[in-house]
Formats: sequence, structure tokens, C-alpha cells
Amino acid sequence: MINLQNAAIFMNGGQAFKSIDIKVAAGECSVIFGGRGAERSALLECFYNPDLVTDGTYSNFARRVGIVSLREQERLILREETRDDSDLTDQIFPGTPVFDLLEETSLDKDLLAHLIDSLDLNSLLGKGFRKLSSGESKKIILARALSIKPDLLLLEDPLEGLDSLGRTQALGLIGDLSKSVTKIYSLSRVTDIPENTNKIFFLDSNSVVREFVCQSGVQARYMVSSITKIESREVVLPPPAEKRSLPTNPDGSLVNIRNATVKYTENTVFENLDLRINPGSHWQIKGPNGSGKTTLLNLINGDHPQSYVNNICVFGFRKGEGESIWEIKRNLGFVSNALHWDHRISVSVINVIVSGFFDTIGLYSNTSDLHYKLAYKWLELLGLENERDQRFTELSFGQQRLILICRAMVKHPPLLLLDEPCRGLDDADRQLVIALINRLCADGDSTIVYVTHDLEDEISFISNSLELV
Amino acid sequence: MPNYFNSLSLRDQLAQLGKCEFMDLSEFADEANYLRGKKLVVVGCGSQGLNQGLNLRDSGLSVAFALRDSAIREKRASWQNATENGFEVGTYEELIPSADLVLNLTPDKQHSSVVKEIMPLMKKNACLSYSHGFNIVEEGVTVREDITVIMVAPKCPGTEVREEFKRGFGVPTLIAVHEENDPLNEGLSIAKAYAAGTGGHKAGVLMSSFIAEVKSDLMGEQTILCGMLQTGSLLCFNKMVEKGIEPGYASKLVQFGWETITEALKHGGVTNMMDRLSNPAKIKAFELSEELKNIMRPLYEKHMDDIMTGKFSAGMMDDWNQDDKQLLSWRDETSRTDFETTGITAQDIKEQEYFDNGILMVAMVKSGVELAYEVMTASGIKEESAYYESLHETPLIANTIARKKLFEMNRTISDTAEYGCYLFNHACFPLLQEFMERQDVDVIGRGLGLNDAGVDNQRLISINASIRQHSVEVVGKKLRGYMGAMKRIL
Repeated sequence: MINLQNAAIFMNGGQAFKSIDIKVAAGECSVIFGGRGAERSALLECFYNPDLVTDGTYSNFARRVGIVSLREQERLILREETRDDSDLTDQIFPGTPVFDLLEETSLDKDLLAHLIDSLDLNSLLGKGFRKLSSGESKKIILARALSIKPDLLLLEDPLEGLDSLGRTQALGLIGDLSKSVTKIYSLSRVTDIPENTNKIFFLDSNSVVREFVCQSGVQARYMVSSITKIESREVVLPPPAEKRSLPTNPDGSLVNIRNATVKYTENTVFENLDLRINPGSHWQIKGPNGSGKTTLLNLINGDHPQSYVNNICVFGFRKGEGESIWEIKRNLGFVSNALHWDHRISVSVINVIVSGFFDTIGLYSNTSDLHYKLAYKWLELLGLENERDQRFTELSFGQQRLILICRAMVKHPPLLLLDEPCRGLDDADRQLVIALINRLCADGDSTIVYVTHDLEDEISFISNSLELV
Repeated sequence: MPNYFNSLSLRDQLAQLGKCEFMDLSEFADEANYLRGKKLVVVGCGSQGLNQGLNLRDSGLSVAFALRDSAIREKRASWQNATENGFEVGTYEELIPSADLVLNLTPDKQHSSVVKEIMPLMKKNACLSYSHGFNIVEEGVTVREDITVIMVAPKCPGTEVREEFKRGFGVPTLIAVHEENDPLNEGLSIAKAYAAGTGGHKAGVLMSSFIAEVKSDLMGEQTILCGMLQTGSLLCFNKMVEKGIEPGYASKLVQFGWETITEALKHGGVTNMMDRLSNPAKIKAFELSEELKNIMRPLYEKHMDDIMTGKFSAGMMDDWNQDDKQLLSWRDETSRTDFETTGITAQDIKEQEYFDNGILMVAMVKSGVELAYEVMTASGIKEESAYYESLHETPLIANTIARKKLFEMNRTISDTAEYGCYLFNHACFPLLQEFMERQDVDVIGRGLGLNDAGVDNQRLISINASIRQHSVEVVGKKLRGYMGAMKRIL
């Protein structure tokens, strides 16, 4: 059994808990819910890394702890960075192959083969970790956690970012685990609370943990919903800093992609893809993990190098005919996991929002009072005005994500590309983001291209959808 | 081929050595436009080649990659990199004749043979760009009269060049025009546009000369950068083991210590590195470094003299002609040192512990940086060049040691750096024997372990003033302010 008594728990940037008590019996399935995302993460992480418990008593029966979390993903990405010797060897580093990553943790060949089969990983085995889509890397992390035959499994939003087939596969594997495996979830969505939940640890706003015992998932979800109040609210967006005319192609579209192909030596992402985005017609891009949703958005914003070898017209430029990437970016706003990752820099919260006026990561330009006035209004909208001068990296993941969403919206860009924007957000924040997006659509300045796997996050204004396979 | 530097008059030598000025952002109002519509061909698709190519293309320029026949035929990694990134790829014969600007971004070791191969293929009045001037200055290669020869050298690794560009910024960049080869008087315009195309203009561009770049680069790499860190690694490791520190711990403290210590140097110069120590440790490190400077100054001066006269490069090129006999035997020696062969402990060493237990390493970095800088500036090299080739580059090599230890570090740096590093080490190691005999684990391995951290105020004030008023700190503060993270709005 796991026992935390009077425990103080440390997290990035300070103390998450001063003194908490938590008991989990072997074989139980418990769920951490509520509070701030950073606190949930710290609590879950301390069962994996006891160094985070700085005071009180702590005991943990588990000998093998499997973990699926953003932190674990971060660890892998950072390790890949230290393995990248391209600047020394002058050889480009594609990332550790998936198979090596799986073999590294695996305790049993047959189990590994079973995991590879069940999660459909065969086609990924030769790929470098860096070349995986966000959903694919999530699956790898799950497979690693299961491959050690855990007696304790820690799962932070394990389904987030997975497509519907992936969710079924993941749920199946977790469900097949022996009853003796202890499971602790940290969840941001009520709907993700699993059927066999025995216990809820509910964090209230003062980092106090309330414990509820429950008989079923239905009961657990009901209990949690009744204590988390989400008020839907009307939002009014701050205006842009300047009004600009719409940068359309000669045919009136914002984006016109014809017969696009993206391929690598070992695989083809998609072929013969056409997409024409007209002003005011919003799009949702659908498709399974690895089908190229992020790749497609990166063709539009110019971040994908193969945008130069495809027939792409965007904002009046024929891609590759002498335009600079900044001439394209000034017309769009963008949120993605990669952009979030690239924001590990020392910059204040308000300056992240102001940087949205300049399309930079960090701020290097001459700003005006107007930029700061508008950025402050966005912070008020989020209720984060007291954090204006804090380091961006000290905010919780979810707060960072909200800031990045506002950064993308500040200039009311003609085109707003949102790649899984709600990742890491809890129910209340998600409602806010969806309200923001709906407002932006209704105001009519921006056209939206949206990627999500979650049906409940759909945007009512979106009428067009493109399904990648 | 004659040494180009030695063929100049003293007057010209001094003028070239002393060339290094910071260019104002307003000089780059035209950004990359001078090269718009021109054809850029990159030779070499490694880290610098690929990442600079990506930046230049994202700045609206036309970029293609020229690779050797065999690399294309066998679809080697370089071919794959260029192709998957959507670049036109061709052989030298296919691409060089139509190039307006050829960017030679092959490793230093290949410069001579690559230049020999591409020069006859280049069209009249095209431009050839280098990232390092050894080939021109020391080997004395003469380039066809009608060709413009420039240098554009981002002062950071290729991946950083790319990352900073993607953020909307850049990395500090050094540019130069080879005065013997500027027939149309357009070298500067091309170099500026190229620097702007990589984003360098936003972080600051230094206008230098081929000679200043080569002489300062050689001096920095063989003394403080590679030589000092190599000698320091071996001495510190041996000392700790001799005094009973667990070898795995000693190995780790040294391997990762340089990187941790010089990370502080990178952000805030010698001042910040020293400020990371407790007051008593700072005083100790200061005293050690003063003593080290006294002992090592003649050696640093000898290296500078040999670089200036061309004796160093002549010796090295002799070794080239004997199939690197000496270099390879020294490399082998490095691979067999105890530091190299001892595995590291799994024990965690906290960031501050590297400072507290590595006082001698801090002293070595401080003395090496200051000596290299002082000797360079005393020889006519401008402060800005001396700063870049000493303090600025030290964290990069420290990072390499953290990743690779010494043997691999030496294999991956340029030939000139590796050869110079061994020369330095062979002289410095015995030179510091007597000094090392007097040291103990309080300065390397275990820390001062004082119960009382009290110090004399007057002593501390005078030491702080001495650290902060050193010219490398004054120039460094100015340059980091122009160019580095401080220019950003935090």
C-alpha cells in the first residue's frame, strides 16, 4: 500500500502541498481530480519520484512503477536532445528508434510483442522518436509503462491526444491488466473517469484533498460533476492592434493547396491532398494519429520544409517563390504542442501574449503601450492578470496553454490554426477556450482550422471537415 | 603555398589583426534582399549546412545542396537530409556552374580538397563563402581573381542557428571580406545579406577580417578552449583519485563540471561564474587563478607567438604530410588516460555542488579565459574578437566534454584545434605539476567544508572589483548586451 502522511510535496516553482494524507491500498483504482493541473501532476509524480516528498512520511509498496504523463514525455524529449550530437558529428540525428525505446524498458519479449500488436505500433518501430506525431508518442509512452509489468501504474490523462481506435486499444490494455495492479489516474476531464474507480482524491482550491469512496464510474463522475461548477460565460474579445485587409489569393481563397504530397524515405504521410480555405469557412481536420494533421497545418504556416516542394498558395504568395516565412506568419495565429514545447524560455507571461503581435517566440521587437494594454485585457479575460510579470515557465501547463491560445488570437489573425489547443486543460478551461474560439468565429475576423480528437470539444461554427486517413 | 599573413607588410598585418567592429542593426535595413533571386548552393549537408540552408530559404532565398556523386548515388544521410527537407540536390558539376553564391559548409578538414574541386566549376564573378579562414590565411590558397571571397560564421552550433531563427531571432555572426578577392566590390553586401538571411543581424554582426578570425580562433581553441580543459580534466581527476575520492565521482565531477561551471560563464561572464561560489570559496578560487596565471602566462605567450609566425600551422601541416602520425599517437594517448577510462558514478551531483566541490576548476577556467584574452589583445587582436574566441566559445567545448569526454571531443573538433590542444597539454601538464602537488580535496572534490563562511570585507571588495573590472568582463557585458539573451525583452 501507498501511504503519504503529513507530506509536503514539491513541484516546479514551489510547494504543491504543505501537508497531505493519502492512502491507496494495493489493487485499488483511484483518481486524482480537481485543483490545478500542476498540483495533480506533482501528486502523481511523487509516487514515481519520492524525492518530491520533502517532508512527512512516505511509503510505497510498489517495486515497478509505470508512468504515463506529460512529465514522462518531457523526460524522453529532453533525453533525445542530449543524445543529439549533430553539432559535433555533423550527422543529423533522427531520434532514438521506437523499437529501442520499447526494448529499453521491456521485461518480457512476449509481452512486448503483445503490446506492439495491440497498439498497432509495427509501422512505427523503425521511426525516430522525434518523427512521431503527438498521439503516436503517447502510445509509445503507454507501451513503455506497461512493458515493465508494473505493480503500480500512474496515468495522467492517458487518453488525451489518442484517436478513437487508439483509445479503445489503450482502454483494452489497461482493462486487461491483472486486478492486483494498482492504478492511480490524474484526470482533467470528468468523462475520462474509468468504470472501476474505487476512490476519488478531489483537490479543492486550497490544495486540500477530499477523499470519496465510490462503487462505480457513474457514481464517481456524478460526485465529481456535482462539486465542480462550470459556469458558461459570455466573452468579449479585446480588439486587434490594427485592422488589416484580408490577404487573399487571386482566386479569393486564403489557402489553396493542390495535389500535395509529403513523404520521407521510409514512409509517405499523405498524397494528392487538396484543400482550399475561403475566408469565413472554418475547417476541422480529422483523422487518426499519424495521418498528417499536424503536417498539414505546418504546410500552411510554412514550418514544414516540404511546403517548398508542393503547390501551395497562401495569403497571395505562391510558396517558394521568394516570400519570407515572416510574411506568411504575420497573417496567422498558431497553437500546437511543438509551439508550446518551444516556449521553454525565460520570458514573462504578458510578453508571451505581446509576442503574438510579432509572431516571435520570445520578444525581440519594439513594442507600444497599445500592445501591452491589449495583452492585459486578454489576461483579464483569463483571470490571470496577477501573473502578468511571472515567468511563463512557472505557470502550470494548462495556464501556459491558455496564454498561448491568447497569443495566437491577439491580432485577430485572418487564419487561426489550432492543433489540439485544449491539451492539458481541465473542463472549466476548455469551456473558456471553446467560448473564445466561438466568439472569434462570430466576430468574423478570423477563419479557423481546428484539430481535435474530442467530440465534446467541437466548435459549432465549423461546417467543413477534412478527413485524413 | 606561402602563408598569406606572412606575405603582408607589418602595417597591413596590424590593420588586419585589429579589425573587428560591431555593426549597427540599421546597416541591415535591406535584410537579405541583395541575394534575392540569386542562386545559393550549399556544399555540405551537415548541421551547419542544413540549418543555415533552412534559414536562408525561409528568408526568401533560393537554396540548393551540392553533394558528391557517391553521396547521391548511395542515398547517404546527407542526401536524405537535403531531400526530405525539400531542397534541390545535385552533384557539384550540376549545381556549382549556375551558382551565384557557393557556401562551403563542409567540415574544416575538407576545405582544401572541396575548394580545389569546386573552384574550376564556378562561374565568372561568383562568390565563395567560407565559415573559417585557415585555408586562405595559413594554407595560403589563392582563389581565382574574378571570384569574390567572403566569410560568414555564426558563432553558435547549427541547431542553435536554426532554433533562434525560428523564434524570430538569430545568433551572433562574424563576417569578413577577403581583400585580395573582392573584384566587384560587392563582398560586404553579399556577406551582410547572407548574415541577415540566417537571422544573424538581429543578434548582432561583427565585421572582422580573415586574418583576425584565424589567428584568434587558433589561439582560443588550443589554449583555453580545448587545451586548458584537457589538461585541467586530467590534473583534477588524478588529484582527486590520489587523495582518495571515489573515482566514479571524480570522473563525473570533471566530465560534467566544466559544462555546469561555464553555463554560468555564458550567462554572466567570469563575474557570474565566480559569484556562484561562496565568499570564502571565491577568495580561494581567485588566489588559485592568480597563481595559475603567473605560471602559465609564458606558455600562452608561446602559443600566440607560434601562431603569429606561422610556426604552428607549418608544424601541423608537416604532420598532415606524414599522415597525421603525431596527431594519431597523441589521440591514442588521450584514449588511455585514467580519466577517459573511468566510468562515472550513478550518484546525482547537484548543480551547486559542481561549483562548491570544483573550486580549482573554476580557477582554471577563470585563469585560462583571462590569459587567452590578455595575450590576444596584447598581440593586436581586438577585444571583441578575443572575447568571442575565448570566453564565448568555452561553454561549447565544455558541453562537448560533458557529452563525450576527451577522446571523442578531440576527434570531433577540427584538426587544428586537436593538434593545438595536444601541443598545449604536453607543455602545460608538466608545467603545473608542482602547483598541483600543493593542492588538496578542499579545492577539488570535497569543498571547503567551513562552518564559518565569514570573510574580510576589504579583501572581498578588492577581489570583486578585480574580477569585474577585467577588460574581458567589460567587453563581454557590452557584447552580451548587444547580442545575447539580454537584448531580448524578458
